[in-house]
Amino acid sequence: MAATLTANDDVMRRLLPRLPAGVWSLSGFTVVWFGGIVIPLLAIILVSFFQGRGIRINLDPTFLQYERFFSYGGSDLLARSVRIAATITFIELMIAFPFALWLAKGCKNNMVRLLTFTALTVPFFLSPAARVIVWRSVFGINGVVNQALLATGAVDEPVTWLIFSEFAVHFGFLGAFFPTMVWPIFLSISLIDNDFLEASNDLGANRFRTLVHVIFPLALPGVVAGIVFTFIPMLGDTVVAQHMGGNNVLMLSAQVQSLIGVSNFLVAAALAAVVLGIMLAFQVLLWAALKPVGGLNEVFANLRR
Amino acid sequence: MANSDVTVPRAAVGNGDQILHVEHATHRFGDVVALDDVSITARRGEFLTLLGESGSGKTTLLRIVAGLERPTRIARIAIDGEDVSAIPASRRNCTTVFQHYALFPHMSVGQNVEYGLRVRGIDRDQRRKRAEDALALVRLLDKYGRRVHQLSGGERQRVALARALVTQPAILLLDEPLGALDEKLRVDMQVELLDLHEKLGLTFIYVTHSQEEALTMSDRIILMRRGRIVQEGPPTDLFDRPASRFVADFMGVENLLEGTIESVQNGTASVRIGGHVISGAWSGTGLAERGAPACVAVRAERIRLAPRGATVDEPGVNALPCTSGATIYKGKYLDQTLDTDIGPVKARIWDRGVDVTDLEALWWRESECAITSAENGAGAGSGEEADAA
Repeated sequence: MAATLTANDDVMRRLLPRLPAGVWSLSGFTVVWFGGIVIPLLAIILVSFFQGRGIRINLDPTFLQYERFFSYGGSDLLARSVRIAATITFIELMIAFPFALWLAKGCKNNMVRLLTFTALTVPFFLSPAARVIVWRSVFGINGVVNQALLATGAVDEPVTWLIFSEFAVHFGFLGAFFPTMVWPIFLSISLIDNDFLEASNDLGANRFRTLVHVIFPLALPGVVAGIVFTFIPMLGDTVVAQHMGGNNVLMLSAQVQSLIGVSNFLVAAALAAVVLGIMLAFQVLLWAALKPVGGLNEVFANLRR
Repeated sequence: MANSDVTVPRAAVGNGDQILHVEHATHRFGDVVALDDVSITARRGEFLTLLGESGSGKTTLLRIVAGLERPTRIARIAIDGEDVSAIPASRRNCTTVFQHYALFPHMSVGQNVEYGLRVRGIDRDQRRKRAEDALALVRLLDKYGRRVHQLSGGERQRVALARALVTQPAILLLDEPLGALDEKLRVDMQVELLDLHEKLGLTFIYVTHSQEEALTMSDRIILMRRGRIVQEGPPTDLFDRPASRFVADFMGVENLLEGTIESVQNGTASVRIGGHVISGAWSGTGLAERGAPACVAVRAERIRLAPRGATVDEPGVNALPCTSGATIYKGKYLDQTLDTDIGPVKARIWDRGVDVTDLEALWWRESECAITSAENGAGAGSGEEADAA
């Protein structure tokens, strides 16, 4: 066994130029990343500028797919998707920050903390569709909520906006993307040394000022990560909009999927390219928003203490 | 350490003007008693040191004064005449220099120093001016715009001092502030802290585990063990008149010889150890009792040597026949072990001319040793271990 390994080692050494391991792992990673992620993305963008003729593809570049997309109410779809994703990201941040703060610094009971961790991770073992579809039996026309409302006499006939509505979509996203916001914020708050909080208190700051001047700035890396990992996957999510919004709330990624379903690859590619564009624009926006506090590098440099 | 028993008179501190009262403070962490019914006071302008090994409760006591720890039970705590039992740390008129400085990593040096003023709503211009004054005080005015991670350990220490001083507190609390610095820097900072104390006339409460630091800097030392005070007084008291074997040992007395008290006369006790009787001033708490176990504490530098053939029988001198043991070279001096029939005794030899090989006896003056209680604990009723910091 050991001999084979040594032999292999020798072969490797002869085959590979002598470069430090760091360079190899880095260049290996670059190759995988380029081949596995960048090329397919470039292909999507490239395809979105083609034009189909029967089953063949015409290679003259054209904006036809984009024109089609926008002429069939694409801008509404775009605006709605971004609006919903941004709203949910904001709401998640507002709920997740205090929750993460409590979990990291307030919760002294290890059992409670463990149970909370479990509650946050267990839903991920379920398929996203299964997770979302449960809400139908709660919010549907004959769902639990409506039956309760009817039984108590609060309404005369079932409330219809509970399912297949923007309300339902918001609700579905809220649950699905809570952990992605909580985790990074929880981690970055956990990393804040209690000494800093005590020093702030000792120097005359009350809890609120300590939150504003010490905890929030030091938790900023987590907040940034939370926003990125919530907003972007939400734009790419196909499940919630489909199962909770039905045909009433169409969103970008769900549309890409249904276009692929009907073999309309070219418009789907154009749509995917639009989603990519939004994500890119979002990153630029985030970068610009962090400029006043010294930019992204500075924010993460604070982790070094 | 050769001159450490010479008193350096400090600015006279008025009696009666107490700036801090802590009465009957007890603190438990779970089952562990970190502080066991301790009372202390501090005079205005005093440099008071809380000395003890880790787990002695000194840091807990400091944190209770700062308001960072709520004591399990306390009769009264007052700062500058105001009862602060119910007042949070943020509104107490004292600030802390933390052991690891706790400088905010996301702020510049200037912003760190200004923090206390900023949370008090003081306007930008005045904030800047006062922060610059505080930085000038610790000779770091040119570092105002620097980031914390660009500073050396000693500089961080001084920024932490400036940050704590800028709000002009009544008491400055220092929690092992020099613990993280290297030897040379530590000595420099000791001098700097003393200068600051002199200049500002502020009350310093200083926590340390180093008896040497405590001796050099303090007006008064409170030595703690297992959540209790074992002795308090000016440095000379603890150094020359240890109240128990533990104090003598902690204050670095090399030779602790145990025996039983044979006679007591005018504050002088005689102790029988083996076939010898050794006399010295009684420094234990309470009265010395005949037959009680006692401990002779004598420092290595007080031990003198008598060459073979010499006779040592002057009055007021303790002598033990001895032979020469191991020698350890320490550069400035030699640490010489001498074997006697009651065990080894350490002597410190400064004079290279002395012959340490052929000896008759070792001797020291009665006035240069202390007889104290053989007790090694923190007094009665403290059986349990208190390991919390």
